[in-house]
Amino acid sequence: MNRFNTHIIPVEFEYHEPRTIREALELLARWGEDAKILAGGTDLLVQMKMRRVEPKCVINIKRIPELDYIREGPAGVRIGAATRLRRLERSGAIKRLFPALHRAIGWMASVQVRNMATIGGNLCNASPAADTAPPLMVYGARVKLASVSGERTLPLEDFFTGPGQTAMRPGEMLTEIWIPRQPEGTGSAFIKVARTAMDLAKVNVAVALTLKGWSAFNVRIALGSVAPTPMRAREAEAALEGRPPTEGLLRRVGDIASEEIRPITDVRSTAEYRREVTKVIVADALRKALGMVRVGGGVG
Amino acid sequence: MSSSSVLEEIRRAEEFLVVGKGVWRIDALDKVTGRARFTSDFVLKDALHVRLVKSPIPHGRIIEIDAERALGLGPVRVFTAADIPGENQVGYALPDQPLLPADKVRYVGEPVALVAAPDEDLAEKAAELVEVRYEELPAVFDPLEAMERSDVLVHEDRGTNIAEMTRVRKGNVERGFEESDVVVENTYRTGHQEHAPLETEGAVAIPDTQGGVTVIASIQYPHLCQRITARVLGLPHSMVRVIQPYVGGGFGGKDDMGPVVSAMAALVAFKTGKPAVLVYSRRDSFTSTCKRDPSVVRYKTGATRDGRLKAIEVQIILDSGAYANRGPYVLWRATMHAGGPYEVPNAKVDGFLVYTNKVFEGSFRGFGNPQVQFAAESQLDELAERLGMDPLEIRLKNLLRPGSRTITDQLLESSVGIYEAVKLLGEKTGFRAKWREYRRERAGRVRRGIGIACGYHGISTSRGVPDWSNATVILGRDGSVTVETGICEIGQGSWTAHAQIAAEVLGVPVERVKVVGGTSDAPDTGATHASRGSSIGGIGVYVAAKRLRERLAEAAARLLECDPSDVEIREGRAFRRDSPDDYVEWEELVQAAYSMGYEMSATGYFFLPKGKFDMERGLGYAYPAFSYIANVAEVEVDLETGKVRVVRVWPALAAGRILNPVLVEGQIEGAIAQGMGYALTEELKFEDGRMLNPNFTDYLIPTSLDVPEVEAPIYVEDLYEYGPFGAKGVGEMALIPTPAAIMNAVKNATGVRITEIPATPEKVYFHLKEAGVVAGE
Repeated sequence: MNRFNTHIIPVEFEYHEPRTIREALELLARWGEDAKILAGGTDLLVQMKMRRVEPKCVINIKRIPELDYIREGPAGVRIGAATRLRRLERSGAIKRLFPALHRAIGWMASVQVRNMATIGGNLCNASPAADTAPPLMVYGARVKLASVSGERTLPLEDFFTGPGQTAMRPGEMLTEIWIPRQPEGTGSAFIKVARTAMDLAKVNVAVALTLKGWSAFNVRIALGSVAPTPMRAREAEAALEGRPPTEGLLRRVGDIASEEIRPITDVRSTAEYRREVTKVIVADALRKALGMVRVGGGVG
Repeated sequence: MSSSSVLEEIRRAEEFLVVGKGVWRIDALDKVTGRARFTSDFVLKDALHVRLVKSPIPHGRIIEIDAERALGLGPVRVFTAADIPGENQVGYALPDQPLLPADKVRYVGEPVALVAAPDEDLAEKAAELVEVRYEELPAVFDPLEAMERSDVLVHEDRGTNIAEMTRVRKGNVERGFEESDVVVENTYRTGHQEHAPLETEGAVAIPDTQGGVTVIASIQYPHLCQRITARVLGLPHSMVRVIQPYVGGGFGGKDDMGPVVSAMAALVAFKTGKPAVLVYSRRDSFTSTCKRDPSVVRYKTGATRDGRLKAIEVQIILDSGAYANRGPYVLWRATMHAGGPYEVPNAKVDGFLVYTNKVFEGSFRGFGNPQVQFAAESQLDELAERLGMDPLEIRLKNLLRPGSRTITDQLLESSVGIYEAVKLLGEKTGFRAKWREYRRERAGRVRRGIGIACGYHGISTSRGVPDWSNATVILGRDGSVTVETGICEIGQGSWTAHAQIAAEVLGVPVERVKVVGGTSDAPDTGATHASRGSSIGGIGVYVAAKRLRERLAEAAARLLECDPSDVEIREGRAFRRDSPDDYVEWEELVQAAYSMGYEMSATGYFFLPKGKFDMERGLGYAYPAFSYIANVAEVEVDLETGKVRVVRVWPALAAGRILNPVLVEGQIEGAIAQGMGYALTEELKFEDGRMLNPNFTDYLIPTSLDVPEVEAPIYVEDLYEYGPFGAKGVGEMALIPTPAAIMNAVKNATGVRITEIPATPEKVYFHLKEAGVVAGE
């Protein structure tokens, strides 16, 4: 094939393939905001082709072995930021422990794309529609950010600050996602409303709750594509917390969530439809999560 | 060739060796191994890369094009209307479309200049630096508004925004409605559809040593590309050669765009003396190529109590965008097909093609027919409902049969298999029982429904417009067979069908046949459109091969010492019918025929006999033949999200001889997927003429995971007398009734009629809500 026949990227940039986190962080420290991290390329390269971003330096972290892992420990599971979605999809631990996350990943794009895209990339791209964000938020995941001057962790909820915006400082890189084990009796689910099988979400929702006796505790509901960032529906959660999840209540919780969101009308959906459908899928997801606990596990 | 003798022969034949079999595609190995080469694989090292400078406004006068900054970047060339040596005109039906506009732009995305540079980055940067100053003009986007306005004109010289009007006047509709017991009237709307071929539009042009140019391009009609390119360059046709490499999907769009990209690349090559390559980006392919015409169809249908259609009155408004392009022909086709495949004694149809300041429309699988069939077939279900009949019953009562007349009063003597197809389809699907059950149930949140819709499609060009077939068949001294045709291979498999026809007629294995197609070096075979590639295109192959077969039979008779009529040639051997063991091998026979002085190449020209058409009343001979289709679709509708899932589709096709069932199935499945996208998800959104979703992120075509189960098709082989082995066209068929079949199923599931496509979940949700349909009812 001759290299002239496809128009790849209309900007010139320096390209690096560090082999260690240290090397990557040093490059980041040197280039600062002129650098972009390539963790999969399924978002970044498209943006570069369209000239939405024109980095002077691209740092490919996919060749760093210490960023590619799924480790199950007693308290939870640690995932390297450059772990491919396809690997997570095929992981028994993810499927068993975090069915909502598993479902969300299996629903993203196509196998080909999931073989390239990474979980860290999906989070750092910070799309309001990012499908991995709501499940990770309901599981109470934390992210680890590293720079040459050290590391810090923060709850994923505090990570997103706006569309395409995160709490990462210049020189920082996402290195790990930690998801705590959920208590016994927890059910979780993920649902997405999209136009075709391979579409971005019009609305997505993840829920998790723990059933004790007849009542639901530790209720968490997170939604995507309905606000500038993925968001928790706290009032809806509170309405269900500690109460028996009757059909009528589940519908009310959906209605409350629909009031909490701040959707916009864009080319993908109208705000009005997003509100309507939020009611439905929040209740659907809660029913699904309850169904899981009641039969004692299973796939979300 | 006497037609009756051919038909006779086809009917007599009891079995075929190659025709009707699922022969492997001749391009299969090239495509699965990646050897197949497409336009952008032919870029020469010293080629100039061409980029478009596009209009950012929907309507405005071009005051000045300033290329100074672009030229300052380096070895850059900029071409505008002023650089065109020949005629700056690429309009198809009307001379209204410049290759590059000289005076004004008429839509956002219209190319106003071409920029060429030795590398793509430079061309891209230079294109951004070309400064075009416009005087903006008021624009008009809605066709209904554009029809009424004369203060804003897309084409001032025409004095109106109505580009074309068509009509059919059959019988007396006033009386027809008076005699009707039930009358149903509705307005239907359909949206744009983008072809979304895997390979975008493109052309590579190479100057030749004689002052002409060779164009390698992604096209559907090499001779049209040749004519238009020659016109733009001011050259005789013979100085332009056009060659089609493999094409990554056409669907009609490349019939219209092929000449445009060919002429653009050729202009740069001709002016610079260097090879030039122009490949549209996906964005260009969205913003600056033709689409399916959006429509508004007002439809009134009347029938008697027993379900017989008495009259239709139809108004069709097609939004043509900035240029007429194929619009007048699209409109004629829509007009003449407005009744559906039914006997309608009284018909009044008026068509309007309207200019607006949006991207222009053009050819797309179905060519105006899906728009009107959506309306016609929805109407029929509404009528049935009012009459207390089921959808199958009302169709069987009115379907065309041999001896019927169409709404243009054309007599259909034979090859009308739709009645049988629908009858079989009804039985196979258990339609009535399911339809009644789903209608009775209508409970719960997810509701199931089943719908049927029919369609028919005239094969070949409309009205009396001349149509012909032509091909050359050449036998090499080694016995190899070459078929030369202008028909293009755009993924549909026509070349494989051509090889099958030649192999069957000549009596050789299909592997011996090579097809050289899609080139202006072959005879002009007409375009690969109107479902005519294998059907009409194949006639020429049949005729030419037949001629050679006669010569070979004579030569064989001399070797076998018998009468030519006693010679049988099959599977690469010639023998006497009464003693098959006494044979001559094919190679031997061809060599002997050469030595005996037989000409071993033959052309097969065939001019289709056509009748007269009265344009004033829209009556007369519309098409030489029609293919027929019926689809049953089963759907699930989620009342709470408005999402429609198509679960299963059963197709039934009456398209004469099925030359290759595997290829035909491929066409049917693809057409159903494309029809489903048209019906449910594919929607172009505009804001002040600017396209908001020129990409696959937000223009949604169905994926393999969305496509429903398509059942094995029912074939009714209603042979057509002039078709090769009795074949008619297939490519467009299954798309045509798909939207109506789905919406009729949605009605069956929910009781709600959706009259506007695409029926996105939002639209369905709010329609259901408005109608008060909620879960648990």
